[in-house]
Amino acid sequence: MSNSLLSCSEPLLPTDWPNLSKGLVAHVDADQETAKFVLLDCFDQSIRQSGRLLFESGGQLTLVQPDGVPVSQTAERSGNFVADLADGPVKARLADVDPLRCLLNLGEGEIDQQQVKLVDDEEKTHLRVQVLTFSTVDRATSLISLDPVRGYGKSLKLVRKKLAERGATEAAPRQIMDVLFPELHAYVAKPKLEYSQETTAYCAANRIISAYLSVARQNEAGTLADFDTEFLHDYRVALRKIRSVLSLFKGVYGAAATQDLKQRFSDLMAPTGPLRDLDVYLLERDYYFDMLPANLHEGLRLMFATFEADRSAVLADLTKRLKSAAYKREMADLEATFVPPGECIHGALGGLSVGDYAQKLIWKRYRKVSKIAAKIDDQTPDEEVHELRISCKKLRYLIEFFALQFDAAEIKALLKPLKRLQDNLGLFNDYSVQQESLQALISSGRLKGKTALMAAQSIGALISILHGRQLEERARVVQSFARFDSPETRERFRQMFHEKGPQL
Amino acid sequence: MKIIACYSNKGGVGKTASAVNLAYAYAQSGARTLLCDLDPQGASGFYFRVKPSKKLKEAKFFEDVERFTKAIRGSDYEYLDVLPANLTFRDFDIFLSRMKNSRSRLKKALKAVDGDYDVILLDCPPNLSSLSEAVFKAADHVVVPVIPSTLTERTFAQLVSFFEEQGLQAKKLKPFFSMVQSRKSLHGETMERMRKSYKGKFLETQLPFSTDVERMGVHREPTMAFAGNRPAGKAYRALWHELEKRT
Repeated sequence: MSNSLLSCSEPLLPTDWPNLSKGLVAHVDADQETAKFVLLDCFDQSIRQSGRLLFESGGQLTLVQPDGVPVSQTAERSGNFVADLADGPVKARLADVDPLRCLLNLGEGEIDQQQVKLVDDEEKTHLRVQVLTFSTVDRATSLISLDPVRGYGKSLKLVRKKLAERGATEAAPRQIMDVLFPELHAYVAKPKLEYSQETTAYCAANRIISAYLSVARQNEAGTLADFDTEFLHDYRVALRKIRSVLSLFKGVYGAAATQDLKQRFSDLMAPTGPLRDLDVYLLERDYYFDMLPANLHEGLRLMFATFEADRSAVLADLTKRLKSAAYKREMADLEATFVPPGECIHGALGGLSVGDYAQKLIWKRYRKVSKIAAKIDDQTPDEEVHELRISCKKLRYLIEFFALQFDAAEIKALLKPLKRLQDNLGLFNDYSVQQESLQALISSGRLKGKTALMAAQSIGALISILHGRQLEERARVVQSFARFDSPETRERFRQMFHEKGPQL
Repeated sequence: MKIIACYSNKGGVGKTASAVNLAYAYAQSGARTLLCDLDPQGASGFYFRVKPSKKLKEAKFFEDVERFTKAIRGSDYEYLDVLPANLTFRDFDIFLSRMKNSRSRLKKALKAVDGDYDVILLDCPPNLSSLSEAVFKAADHVVVPVIPSTLTERTFAQLVSFFEEQGLQAKKLKPFFSMVQSRKSLHGETMERMRKSYKGKFLETQLPFSTDVERMGVHREPTMAFAGNRPAGKAYRALWHELEKRT
């Protein structure tokens, strides 16, 4: 039987129980002392989004599940990623959390726990209750989890009624965060933007850029603190999307303004590249070790030691830059530039309605993707495959920017085959980039001394494996595109983005 | 799902105590367990503080799936539920056939309330009636406590020949020596004789005569719960273990 969960804005005290359980006796086991609690979640609050609550208190990690059933385990851990937790029921239930996201301390306060057993005149338990009372400086709330015993539904009903009279309401674990930390808003990596019919392409561009500037800025603190690699990744994706808007939304801003802005955003991105590259290697560490036989592992260890040293240096550089007055000024300037209605110079097409403009852009990009793909066969040089990859990425961005302007199911049906094609092209690219930079590492002369030979051997082996994988992915490209290029998908693109109709 | 009956055609041999402790042991091992109290004298429900349901005596009770599932009570232990009931033979027959048939409405109803059981333990009344016969047919194992005395030796012999006469599978019988007093030479001799004449039939485990079994009525808990590390508690655990190994 599943628990049911109530919350009460006026904290429930152990002395309240005699009035809450007529005919039954309450055995209350309450904490003598108030303990501290720390609320844990990832930056994107994926645990809260999934209806759960995770907190640490008194050396225990407790996860309150959507139905109110709490599970606990030791809070001992080797790091702050779910994988770093000790094995236990909480870790097992957090398997869905993004492995690249670490758990952050999102709030603190004090907690009181009560375990209550309601028994009849024969000391038979009818109902178990757990009360968690959370409080911060200015707020408090009790989470009451009722765990009924089979066959004693009447007692459950009675206690529920009494609790309701006392002001308790049905609750979800995530409400605790809403009540205690109302200022804590969830981070959204892909803001959903909706436009009215009157919105011009110019206004839409301003809003998209403004939204993604905000995404980038929200990731600054986490990048600086180096919590996990996703902060920098999201920061870069946000800036890249802005650059795509600038280059894709041709004619929305004046030519000179577009040129200037593109340069400024490129300048923001450039210093983040080296750190991201190293992050990618370090995240792939296990994968690299798996690829090579054990006798080549020592060389890999040397290589990763070099990467780690490099990473510290590169992170220090980026930190200095993100903290600099010049950087802050530039970001503030850019933010002001795009605050709707925006102060950029209108381009020739800026006045078009966003719906027409979106159709035009997506259709054009789709045609371009098809055109590039049509030329690709097994003999085509890699550069053209890269071109296809970049064009697909732009198409994806465009569809996502304007997703809310179109039917959600149709958009989903388009994105699915596109994502599959992109996965193939993405792997192809990753393998090729990795080979290049490993090659560069060997040629750089940075690996010195006796160990250099050992590292170079491993890297050489790695390059040849990566090359093999790249070829495998390359061999799939033609087929991959053919799968994407189905008659249904073609028809869908045509209908949604080419035929004139009341799309908006 | 398996059905284990605790049965003896003689009263006062520790049958209810073994039903209660075996049910507890199965539940502790993580098996979802239902203990059915079929013996009006044994009152296994009493040991779990479950009050008998008045409604259960009404006619046609077991044809009403919903009321049946409603009569099941959770014990204070995880995975262990109790059906406090004084059943008539007719009721019981229907009950067992429904428990065994996985497509029956009863099974479905139990599933719906998350009460699909791995083990059902029956605490049977101490007689040879049509009810007992239904139990013997339905159960996978019939656990029989036997006090090593001349009188129970005879009643056990009667049970074995009853099985033979009725064409029941005698291998279902899982007798074990109960209330054993090691200081009594008669107990020792009887056990030796019976183990010889029923070769391989008796479980190895012997339940000692112990106040910890009687004290269940005071504690209103299984012996294993309040005296798990004392001889009787350990013996019940061993009994469960041996039964698990043999089944």
